Amino acid sequence: MPETDGVILEIKKVNKSFGGLLAVNHVNLSVKKGELRALIGPNGAGKTTLLNLINGILQVSGGNILFNGQEITNLSPHRISHIGIARTLQITSLFPGLTVHENIWTAVQSRKKFFNPFLPAKRWRDVQEKTEAMLELTGLKEKASLICSELSYGDQRILEMGIALSTEPKLLLLDEPTAGLNSQESMALVKKMRTMLSGQTIILVEHDMGVVMKLADTISVLHYGSIIAEGPPAKIKENEEVKKVYLGTEDA
Amino acid sequence: MSSWKEKPFRFTLIFGLVILGLVILPFFTELYYQTFLTELFVWILFAISFDLIFGYTGLLSFGQALFFGIGGYTVTILTRKYGLGTEPGLLLCILIPMLFAWFVGYFSVKLTGIHFVIITIIFAIIANIIGDTWTSLTGGKDGLTFSPRPFRLGFFQVNLMDIKGNYYFVLAVVAVCYLILRRIVQSPLGKIFISIRENEERARLIGYNVQRYKLIAFIIAGGLSGLAGGLYSITLKYVGAGYLHWSVSGHAVVYTIVGGMGTLIGPVVGTGIILSLEHYLVNFLQATDLVVGIVLVVMVLLAPKGIVGLIQSRWKKGKSSA
Repeated sequence: MPETDGVILEIKKVNKSFGGLLAVNHVNLSVKKGELRALIGPNGAGKTTLLNLINGILQVSGGNILFNGQEITNLSPHRISHIGIARTLQITSLFPGLTVHENIWTAVQSRKKFFNPFLPAKRWRDVQEKTEAMLELTGLKEKASLICSELSYGDQRILEMGIALSTEPKLLLLDEPTAGLNSQESMALVKKMRTMLSGQTIILVEHDMGVVMKLADTISVLHYGSIIAEGPPAKIKENEEVKKVYLGTEDA
Repeated sequence: MSSWKEKPFRFTLIFGLVILGLVILPFFTELYYQTFLTELFVWILFAISFDLIFGYTGLLSFGQALFFGIGGYTVTILTRKYGLGTEPGLLLCILIPMLFAWFVGYFSVKLTGIHFVIITIIFAIIANIIGDTWTSLTGGKDGLTFSPRPFRLGFFQVNLMDIKGNYYFVLAVVAVCYLILRRIVQSPLGKIFISIRENEERARLIGYNVQRYKLIAFIIAGGLSGLAGGLYSITLKYVGAGYLHWSVSGHAVVYTIVGGMGTLIGPVVGTGIILSLEHYLVNFLQATDLVVGIVLVVMVLLAPKGIVGLIQSRWKKGKSSA
């Protein structure tokens, strides 16, 4: 295994163009095991596109993506999931008609190899136990039998992270978990995330700078599909170019 | 605690009572009703197999008539031309439609929404035209008549030319199929089907090969639709290109929507109600379809989850207010 310095994800010169528009432009990015990497940048900078390229929702136009030294470029999303990358979406993506318990269950059982059509699902004790443990971890145990569309929006965001975590990922891609939450709710979510996600390797796309500064180990700044700065939160805060393109646009 | 809504004891009790009722019913009714009920059982099987792909997996297939018809032709032709017994005939009217479902599904499951609906209709229409015109094989517009051989299993034997024997035979097969389907939808595989119906993208993101599981659901449903077709031709002693008509698929859609999709009991209730309605209306009204159409529109508008869904939500409300 050519795994070096605990690097888990290595993106090499990745391009993505939509027609004439270069949405992701020769991006190089490497994420270390255990790191929480934030990906920030103005709207349309290519953050979500980059996540979509990593987990196979979109195909790259050029470049390579390596995961633990293994080539994963352009694999389909379900394969990527089994390789160990989980994903939450900007617009909450759950199984809306199922209960909270069933949502988690469905994700937990996805790690099984064979789906016996004649075995009652509830006889899978280990799936049952893991589901319970995840309900505990997410704090949704009391709400387990609610249909998930009845949950508050904040709880739905937590549930989606619970679903992602239930697939036992080695890398978690979070796309704007606090989108659509007010500042109070988003602080509560951040607190929850700290306990839920400790020890996880994460790439976090986030607009809320408060959240980013609180959580991130390293920040990468995207602008027009290119990475223009990378470093610890304190450094990024002081970076003149970042101020200009990112923080500046928010003032305006 | 498991929150998958399954009540094994209550189910066993109700299922047992219903079957018991249906077993003793022929002793109290005329042959006329036995024929009606036998056909009803066949349509129930057709509707529940359709619901596996529609109500559970979320794919609206308008092509189930294709498999129904192939099932019907399979058992008829094998018996007429090759003198094959009913047992291998019925087995093949599961397996051959499954092969066709594999072929049709291979192309169809890549498509979603309306495109999926259209391609399944097109396959069924092609089959309908072939059934209509390939006279040497299918008997063309006249169809084929035949006399099914007795069904043998060990010492056990059923005369399928006898109306009562036919009744019990179809009842037994449909009951077993119901239990098998119930097992499947409660199994881990069934949970995957349900997850695809609920949110295809999320299912894919947690690692399910969505197209593969759609194809599996399509093949299972195709096999059971074929069995329904086989039982239907055994019951009528006849098969014709009409079996392949797209309106046959429409029956399953109507029964399932009226009864309640995404449950197995829904299509059973829907089939029972619509067929009984037609059965009585036909005595004094020619346009029974009109009434069925109105029922369908009213159900879709007022109770999109069907009769079973309506009862369940009333039940829930009553419970929470009590």
